Amino acid sequence: MEKEIKTFLIPNDLCKRAGIAGTWLALDQISVFAYEKRNIRQKDQPSHFASTTQSSVFHLRQDVVLFHPILRKLVNESNGVFLAIQSLISSKNADLRLELFKISRQYRSIIRACLENLQDEHTKSEKSDEKLELQNYITVFYSIECIWHLCEILFIDTMPGNLVLSQLLEWVSFHFPEYERNAASMLAENVVGLETRSEYWDTVLGALLQGRIKLVRALLKQHSSSDNSTYRLAEQILKAMPTFNGPGGSSLNELNMQWRHWTMDVQSKIDSKLFSTEKNLDLMMRLIVGEEKAWIEIQDKCEVWYAYLAGWLFFTEPTVKSFELGQFAKRAITKLRMNNQMKQLDKVLLAAMEFDIFQVIKEIQHMYDNGWFVSHLTDLLYHCDRLCDLEKEVPDFSAEKLRESFILDYGTTLMGHKSLWQVGLTYLDHCPNDGLQVIELLLPRIHMDTEAKAQKVVREAKNRELNNVVQSVCKVQGMLSMRRGRLGNALSWALKSQDGPFTSFLADEFLQNYIKSGRLSSTDLLDNLGSGMLVSDRLIFLGKYYEFHKLYQSGDYREAAALLISLLASKIIPKYFWYILLIESIPLLESGDLLFSSNDTFTIMHCMEEKKDVPELKDKLDILRLAATRNLSRALTFEAQIIE
Amino acid sequence: MSHSLHGTFVSEKINKIRWRPDSYNSHFFVTGSIDNVENNIKLWDFCENVEEDDIYPFLVYNLPYCGDITEIKFINSDFFASSSSSGSAYLTRVIPSYSESTSLKNEIEWKNIHQFKNGDASPCTSVTVYDNDIVTVGEDGSINLLNGKSSKILRKIDDADSCSIQCVIFLKHNEILTSNLRGQMKIWDLRVQDSNRPTSTFMISGEQVTPTCLTYHPTQRHLVITGDDLGALTTWDLRQNTYPINVLNGHEGAISEVQFNPEYPDQLFSCSSAGEIWHWTTKGEAVPSLLTPNVETNVWLAPDNVKNKLDVFTLMPTLGKPINSLDLNRNRVICGCDNEAIYLINGVNL
Repeated sequence: MEKEIKTFLIPNDLCKRAGIAGTWLALDQISVFAYEKRNIRQKDQPSHFASTTQSSVFHLRQDVVLFHPILRKLVNESNGVFLAIQSLISSKNADLRLELFKISRQYRSIIRACLENLQDEHTKSEKSDEKLELQNYITVFYSIECIWHLCEILFIDTMPGNLVLSQLLEWVSFHFPEYERNAASMLAENVVGLETRSEYWDTVLGALLQGRIKLVRALLKQHSSSDNSTYRLAEQILKAMPTFNGPGGSSLNELNMQWRHWTMDVQSKIDSKLFSTEKNLDLMMRLIVGEEKAWIEIQDKCEVWYAYLAGWLFFTEPTVKSFELGQFAKRAITKLRMNNQMKQLDKVLLAAMEFDIFQVIKEIQHMYDNGWFVSHLTDLLYHCDRLCDLEKEVPDFSAEKLRESFILDYGTTLMGHKSLWQVGLTYLDHCPNDGLQVIELLLPRIHMDTEAKAQKVVREAKNRELNNVVQSVCKVQGMLSMRRGRLGNALSWALKSQDGPFTSFLADEFLQNYIKSGRLSSTDLLDNLGSGMLVSDRLIFLGKYYEFHKLYQSGDYREAAALLISLLASKIIPKYFWYILLIESIPLLESGDLLFSSNDTFTIMHCMEEKKDVPELKDKLDILRLAATRNLSRALTFEAQIIE
Repeated sequence: MSHSLHGTFVSEKINKIRWRPDSYNSHFFVTGSIDNVENNIKLWDFCENVEEDDIYPFLVYNLPYCGDITEIKFINSDFFASSSSSGSAYLTRVIPSYSESTSLKNEIEWKNIHQFKNGDASPCTSVTVYDNDIVTVGEDGSINLLNGKSSKILRKIDDADSCSIQCVIFLKHNEILTSNLRGQMKIWDLRVQDSNRPTSTFMISGEQVTPTCLTYHPTQRHLVITGDDLGALTTWDLRQNTYPINVLNGHEGAISEVQFNPEYPDQLFSCSSAGEIWHWTTKGEAVPSLLTPNVETNVWLAPDNVKNKLDVFTLMPTLGKPINSLDLNRNRVICGCDNEAIYLINGVNL
């Protein structure tokens, strides 16, 4: 596959002189800046391009047409259909073929709706560049519709016996509806003498090439000389045309025979110059019998080769099989001398008629629609089992991997959008090999400017059991809250993800703040920690310490003292906090009521002696010792009395 | 079910959707977008095409908006208050016009009334109204009391909560209920000046549950229902608020909004982030018993087996994306979703 490399110039002098470097900014943006490349041998010093003057940083983003408001409807609506297929497949529906055909029709009706919206907007629009842009989208989606329809006929809604002509004609008249439209408006007037209209004969011939014989006859009836013998003869011939009523009707051989008789009859009438007076009727009859010269005469009237092809097949190969289409298509293209003017659409259609699905996919992936078409069509063909044959033909080809790679790309593109990221997720969900890993990488990178959005992201991560994503999002939110001076909120986020180390870190912040300010913050939160505090020892300590504080402040000294002792005896006191606890024990030791037993006092003294080298404790040590000894003497005396 | 469903793709995710309340049963409603490069509040009209038996929303007016719309509450048929993730709140007027189409205009803009201490803008997460009184809450944990007739902040409770406040409703003219990220619910008396302490605090449940929406019963305002991020509905009788009366585990995802039917107060509507929209009704015809006249007739206040007394109908096949908001007007329900579509459910069996 040829690689197309696009070059973008960064319009900046500094960048030009120094060189550039780039880094990913968000999912869909690259930040580009001036940067001088260094290698390890060079000295580590400021680049001589460095200066204090302002320099520019450039943000580059891929232009995604699907993010246009009208196309966003298509993206969202088709996402619903895509998800319907996936659940259809997993539900093992009995009539899968029919359901998949319905799905294909749904996709097409979505494209149709989108085209109509685009056309409306195009008519309304007054700015020329906007008009041009919309016209481009219309061209792209028109091609998509046309290709999809043909693929549906050839690969999804296949007729028994591979008879393809009636659908092919339908396809042509669907995409070139002007003959039918003109005819309808002419017939609606119900006047004789329609031939005075400039478009009359073009319409008749056009309808004939699309196989709309009834329409042709109706038009001829409105000709002012329709009563004349030549016209009556033409009417007879057209009326007698053998029709093929699907596989249930007459057998193919029978039809072929009837057809041969009929054309021989027409030929003999042409030969006896029965139509020579009416040039147009003569041409029609010669077309019907497949006269080369006649077909050359009208080939300029055909807008596209496939309209020519369908008409030609209708009269010369009415029982053409779908697998024969390719060779006839090539012949038609050669006849029209189109070989060197094949546009992309023509190439794709030809490839489809040649049943070269691989080539079809190869061509449509370069369409200007950011992969919408190729991923949805490939997915559908994959589920119709149309890709498995390719595995035999093309070496190293895996249908599953091909499908996944398109869907993965498409999903990733959508993940870069502020609003469509959830749609992108559902595509990645259906990539069995790498989807989850990609989600794991992309989800935490979604721009979260509110907690509501962060919660949505967390929910999506939880649904997919991506616990490390949950943790990382919660941690980012927590750090953000901390920077904003909302320590309590930060703790809530840490608890949400049950993140032990982060919780401890925040509990330390609380305690350090207390040391600095003498006040505990976020008490409304600390009041209701519940079992949440079990996440980290540090948080348990914070919770218990806050409890101690509350008891102390409300005057419940006895309980406060008991809690203090149990804290000292536990092993969860942070090093930096020891001296606070010891100092705060002084007033309790000196309290009028005896609060500590001798054992309690020993605990305090033990801790005190153990921590006597803590610098913050130095000038308080004497007081502490004194208070402890005094309390000990009181306690011993008291306990002695009780024993007696 | 005999209701009909009409969906329309609108090219933006809808975070809030509200019928315009009015006595003559019009079809106007407003939507507020989210996650858009440029958000907006739109006024729509549901046009009924009798011939084609189709109903589709027709865009009447588009008002650009700064930030995600986090809440919209109508004060009366002409005014609504809204809150923005940019930290501002707005009072917007619906201006009818005989010559041109109806339009929207911001009457009062309370800019940046929620802010963090480091100067970052704080999203204003919700707004609630009572007559002309408006209360906003935000991620900065503060509460603002505003009035629809003044552009000043009447009262601000700074650091009302150490966590971000996510929901707020008026309980009485002087009392509001807030809920925070941590699952704490607090009742505030707005008359008490110079205090940033709530009159009472209680927890939604033990662990890591965040209430995502609050509503009160239409006739018994002390009965409050909270929806949470685990999909459960919890009923509270605020006369005895410490413990919930009952907890209904229902939705798969977080509950985005709950709303009682004002005409049939036993009925409730709820929608969730898993794309469900449900209609809760009481089972069968509750025969009033003559023998036990003192039994509480409100089914939501029944302490146990409440699930057996309720029927749940799904109003719409489950969407793959969150349904963010719903609103009810008689038998018509509208909802706004993350698949960038709005849906009208017409003729709900009440």
